[in-house]
Amino acid sequence: MMKEVKEPLVISRATQLWEQSTRRDFLRMMGIGGTIVLLPSVLASCDDDDDDPTGPGSGSTVTIDFSKGDTAVLQFAYALEQLEADFYTRVASNFGASGLSSAEQTIFADIKNHEVIHREALKTILGTTNGFTLSTVYTNVNFSSRTSILQTAKTFEDLGVAAYNGAAQYLNNVNNLLVAGKIVSVEARHASAISDLIAPNTTAFSPTPFDDAFGPAKVAAAAQAFIVEQLVLAGAPATFVQGPNNNG
Amino acid sequence: MENTAIINTLDPELLAPIISRRDAIAKGASASSKVVAALALGSVPIALGALAKDVYGQTPADVLDVLQFALTLEYLEAEFYTRGVAATGLIPGAAVAVFTQIRDHENTHVNTLRTVIGGKGATPVAKPAFDFTAKGALQGFNFGATQYATFQALAQAFEDTGVRAYKGQAGRLIGDKVVLTAALTIHSVEARHASQVRRMRGQKGWITGNSNGGLPAFTQPIYNGEENRTQAGLDITALGAGNGGNDGVTEAFDEPLTKDQVLAIVTPFLA
Repeated sequence: MMKEVKEPLVISRATQLWEQSTRRDFLRMMGIGGTIVLLPSVLASCDDDDDDPTGPGSGSTVTIDFSKGDTAVLQFAYALEQLEADFYTRVASNFGASGLSSAEQTIFADIKNHEVIHREALKTILGTTNGFTLSTVYTNVNFSSRTSILQTAKTFEDLGVAAYNGAAQYLNNVNNLLVAGKIVSVEARHASAISDLIAPNTTAFSPTPFDDAFGPAKVAAAAQAFIVEQLVLAGAPATFVQGPNNNG
Repeated sequence: MENTAIINTLDPELLAPIISRRDAIAKGASASSKVVAALALGSVPIALGALAKDVYGQTPADVLDVLQFALTLEYLEAEFYTRGVAATGLIPGAAVAVFTQIRDHENTHVNTLRTVIGGKGATPVAKPAFDFTAKGALQGFNFGATQYATFQALAQAFEDTGVRAYKGQAGRLIGDKVVLTAALTIHSVEARHASQVRRMRGQKGWITGNSNGGLPAFTQPIYNGEENRTQAGLDITALGAGNGGNDGVTEAFDEPLTKDQVLAIVTPFLA
C-alpha cells in the first residue's frame, strides 16, 4: 500500500478530476504529502474541445500584440522562423528515411542552417522580454515521404515570403525593414529551389510576376496548423495594404 | 561620359515635376478615370498606382526616384531575356520554359512600373540602349548559339544585382505602403529567379560569402559585402556553430547595395 502511493499521481485529463478513483487517490496523496502532477493538457482540455492534447491550438495562448509596433512584427517573424527551423531540423535528423536524394539532402541541410540562424538571430534581437517558445505539431506531415517533405517545405517557404512581404508595411524603423528584407529574399531563394525540386525546369520556381503579400491574420491562420499553442494576434492594425496579387 | 544620360534620368530633380496638392485636386477627374480604366482592365498594379496618387495627392521625390531607378533595372533585364529567348539555338530546350517565364515577369515589371509612375503624374524614363558585352568585358557576346554559358552567367549577375538593388531602396519607400508592398513582391520574385538561374549553373541558390560563383572577375562588385556577419548591429558569427559556420551565416542573409553601387555595376551595360 505505501509503496503504491509513493508514485506521483499524474492527472492528464480534466475529467480525471471527477473520477471517483482519482478523487480517492488525490485525497490519499494530500494526506501523505505525495506528489500530484497536473499535466498542461488538463488546462488545455478545459478551454478547448479538441480531444487531442497536442493538437494545433490546444496549448497555452501566445499573444502577439501589434500595438507594440516593430517588436510585434519581429515576434511574428520569430514565430514563423521557429516553425521553419524545427521542421528542417526534423527533416535533417531523419535523412536516412526521407527518400530525399543526396543532392536534395545537401539543399535541405543548407536550408536547415539558414532557418536555425534566422530563428536564433531574431531570438537575440528580441531578447528575453519579447521572446517565446512555440511547440510544433505535424498532423499531416510524413517525414518518411519525399513528397510530403517537399510539399510541406514549399508551404512554409511560400508562406514565409508572403508573410514578410505583407508584414513589412507595419514596420516603422528602416533598420528593421532592412533586416526583414535580408531574410525574405533568402526565403524566396529557398521557395524557388524547393518548387523546382518538385517540378524541375518548369515555371514552378516563380509562378507569378509578383509574389503574394499576406496580412498577419491570414498568415497566422495558416501557421496555426503547425503550432500547439494558440497564436493570438492582438491590436491588429485596422488596415492592410494589399500587394499586386490582391489576395492577402 | 557615356553614363551622363542615364544618371540624369535618375536624378530626382529632373524627374517630371512633383504634383502640387492643388494640381492633384485639379487633375482629380482624370486621375479617377485612370483608376476606373485600370480596374476595367483588371490590372491591380495599375489601379494601385493611380489610387496612390489620388490618396496622397503628392508623391515624394524619393518614391518616384526609386520607381524610375527600378524601371531602369527592369528594362535591362527585360531586354536581356527578350533577346535571349528570341535567339536561335541559344537556350537549350529544357531551359526554355524557365527563361521564358523570367522574360515574361521582367516585361510585366517594366509595364507595371511605367504605369505606376504615370499614375503618379510623372513620365517614365525612356529605355536606354544596352551593350551586353559590358563594354567589351564579354567580347563578342551577341546571344550566339554557342554562348549559353555567358548568357547564364549574365542572368545570374542581373538577378543577384536586382535582389540587392530593391533591398537597398526599400527604406526609401517606408512612407508609401502601396509602393513598398508592391516593390517587395517584385524583390522576392527576383530572388526566386536568382535562385533558379544559379542552380541551373550548378551553383547553390543562395550566395556564400562574397563568392561570385565562377562569374567573370568584373562582376565581383555584385557580391562584395555579401560576406557580412553583422545583423541588426549584432555580430552573429557564433550562430554558425553547428549551422554551416560562416557559410551558413552569410547565406542566411542577403545584403543590400546602394543606388550608386548598383549604377556602377550597371553602367558598363549601357551603350
